Amino acid sequence: MIEVEHLSKSYGAVDAVRDVSFRVDRGEVVGFLGPNGAGKSTTLRILAGFLGATRGRVRIAGHDIAEEPLLARAAIGYMPETSPLYPELRVVEYLGFRAELKRVPRKARKAAVGQALADARIEHMADVLIGHLSKGYRQRVGLADALLGSPPLLILDEPTAGLDPNQIRDVRALIRRLGQERTVLLSTHILPEVEATCTRALVIAGGRLVAEGSIDEIRAMRRTSGLHLGVRGDADRALAIVRAIAGVAGAKATKGAAEGLATIDVDLAASADPVAVAEGAVGALVGAGLGVHEVAPRSASLEQVFSELTGADDAAGPPHEEAGT
Amino acid sequence: MRGFWPIYKREMFSLFVTPLAWVLIATFLAVQGIHFFIIVAHYAGGAADLSADGGPVQAFFGQTVLLYLPLLFVCPLLTMRLFAEERRSGTIEALLTAPVSTLGVVLAKYGAALTTYLVMWAPTIFYMVLVARTGGELDVRVVGTSYLAVAAVGAGYLAIGTMTSAFTKSQLTAAVLSSMIVIGLFMLGIGDFVFDEGAFHSISQHVSVWAQMNDFSKGIVDLRRLVYDATVVVLPLFVTVRTVDSWRWG
Repeated sequence: MIEVEHLSKSYGAVDAVRDVSFRVDRGEVVGFLGPNGAGKSTTLRILAGFLGATRGRVRIAGHDIAEEPLLARAAIGYMPETSPLYPELRVVEYLGFRAELKRVPRKARKAAVGQALADARIEHMADVLIGHLSKGYRQRVGLADALLGSPPLLILDEPTAGLDPNQIRDVRALIRRLGQERTVLLSTHILPEVEATCTRALVIAGGRLVAEGSIDEIRAMRRTSGLHLGVRGDADRALAIVRAIAGVAGAKATKGAAEGLATIDVDLAASADPVAVAEGAVGALVGAGLGVHEVAPRSASLEQVFSELTGADDAAGPPHEEAGT
Repeated sequence: MRGFWPIYKREMFSLFVTPLAWVLIATFLAVQGIHFFIIVAHYAGGAADLSADGGPVQAFFGQTVLLYLPLLFVCPLLTMRLFAEERRSGTIEALLTAPVSTLGVVLAKYGAALTTYLVMWAPTIFYMVLVARTGGELDVRVVGTSYLAVAAVGAGYLAIGTMTSAFTKSQLTAAVLSSMIVIGLFMLGIGDFVFDEGAFHSISQHVSVWAQMNDFSKGIVDLRRLVYDATVVVLPLFVTVRTVDSWRWG
């Protein structure tokens, strides 16, 4: 559905996208994952035909976007990051305009707009002026726009940004449902979002594609990397006990809010089983007469996953900050 | 041309649900109403000579500055938002990622501005009816050529405005830029009266809006002038199409 070969894009001296190649096959829901400024939006804008590539080729549904731009664009339902809309139109007028622009036949237009409104759950906002909508609703009007005309490929740039938790759940459920019959490429900087909606992920950082894998592989990157313990009693003794447990790479104590309370942050060794370490630590602490009131696994943050993935590219990346800061 | 019709309709809708078009049309008609009143009062006083090519219609279409002043300001204001506003708000991204051709987008926006311009002039036909009904001699063909000239000159000014709107994200900058170009062209035409001979005189004579309006309001349809007007339409629109295309590569 999408074939990208050696795609590069530079803005003057800045390289936003550097030699990116990937494929997305029909029926996949692919997450395009990366921190802010990684080149996600730039890549999606190139795929959608809004920006031209500096180098490289992009084919959408078999059509090269440079040679057959109209056919390529007709296959895409694109939702831009900021959902820009005309404030002077009503929602239903805007979607009617977009449907006509996307060449939905006149007779099918009303039904298509109704379907898009229903899918994005904004039927009750159909007659409201776009200028009066909140950010979350605008976002969903943008989503409804992307769905119009049932394009085989959906490209969604941060579809859940600016939504509240309920709306996020709705949109994720919608994406999963759409993914059963269409191809979806969505960008996000939230790792759990990819886990919740996608079958595969592409990870981009610093304009380069740094990893590509199934959701299970992405999950593995997010394995528990540490423990957070809340302890009552002598913090130094607790620290010594924890450090002695097998699989602990390091630990650090901080004084708690109340007298006699402390929290201990434990880093796990790469091969350690987090469950065994947690049980061992709690057993040893309680055995030593110390109180344990809090045990929480600490997952790798996106930054940690990215730094792990991009570790090999350190030479090309920005200089590291000095340790200890 | 793909996408022309829906974009044209949306542009017309947006022009007329926002106050801008109404304010411009009302101001324009107020100025033209005063303009017509002054002319009629002048001729009714009996001081003016009523030769064949010097009646109130000729005076209205070209012999007073009140025809040109509104033109020079109304056209840039009608076109300033066409592209600048879409780029500032970002809606251009949704527009250009739809399966539309660049030519379709540019012509739809230009077409909407041109239609509004013609709508703005339409009520002035009432003045012609007044002249005819009150015993004046009115040659319908001369009125026709007068309106043809007004439309042709305006079409060029609107094309220039469409072009400058694509140059910048600021509506104000777009309006100032096109005003400067349009006023510059008008001033160049004034050179017709300033220089007696030479290349500059010939150029000024060719591009003079003043001379064109005086010709056409007497029923003289000079094809060279229409070719010049067409150039002022086509050239800026071509530049606009190339500018819009260049955003994809910028």
